[in-house]
Amino acid sequence: MFEIRLGENGEVVCEGRLDAAQAARAQAFLDSLPAPDVVDMTKLEYISSAGLGVLLRTQKRLLQSGGGLRLKNANRHIRDIFRYSGFDRIFQIDDGA
Amino acid sequence: LISARFHRSFDALDQLFGFTRRFYEQEGVPAEERLVLDFCVEEIFTNFVKYNRGASQDIELALERTGDRVQARLTDFDVEPYDMTRAPEVDISLPLASREPGGLGLQLVRRLVDEVTYDYTNRQSRITVIKRLG
Repeated sequence: MFEIRLGENGEVVCEGRLDAAQAARAQAFLDSLPAPDVVDMTKLEYISSAGLGVLLRTQKRLLQSGGGLRLKNANRHIRDIFRYSGFDRIFQIDDGA
Repeated sequence: LISARFHRSFDALDQLFGFTRRFYEQEGVPAEERLVLDFCVEEIFTNFVKYNRGASQDIELALERTGDRVQARLTDFDVEPYDMTRAPEVDISLPLASREPGGLGLQLVRRLVDEVTYDYTNRQSRITVIKRLG
């Protein structure tokens, strides 16, 4: 199960498992937003390289306008994946602590 | 050891993860290692789907726990040899403008598990990963 939506505070909320079967839907959602900012990953359990590709494409799009995604409350597994991918250098990652 | 075959489509991932979940519950695999193993299984499975384009047979996943080691082995049948475990590394130090999506999957697999091996026999490509628990 994977869900992506706008939360009440305007943050993008991701829940469940962002795998290769869900990546196109996540990309379409993010592409539909002119300037997404915060992605709340509190309930995101899992991400694969397909999900990383979604985030990277969005970040590159936002680079043109001087914006960028802030990835918030990722679990330990996802933070490890971000670190091993070098995403800690190209995204603001907030552990929410 | 348990094994099953899955249709070579991203849409088979739900079934694939249902299969791994049953194995993890049966074998008492801790939550953290479940995510790592699922990551590896997905990356190898989707690479087989993407890059062994001429193939038509289902892809086999076999899982086995021996002591503190879990082994996941994926086999793609009737394919040309292609050792994706030796693909060049993505430079993760590049700035955002120079980064492109793709190429990270197997690189991350190598980082997350204790062993990754590729072998090719009888027109079968087989990738095996071993993850130590705890």
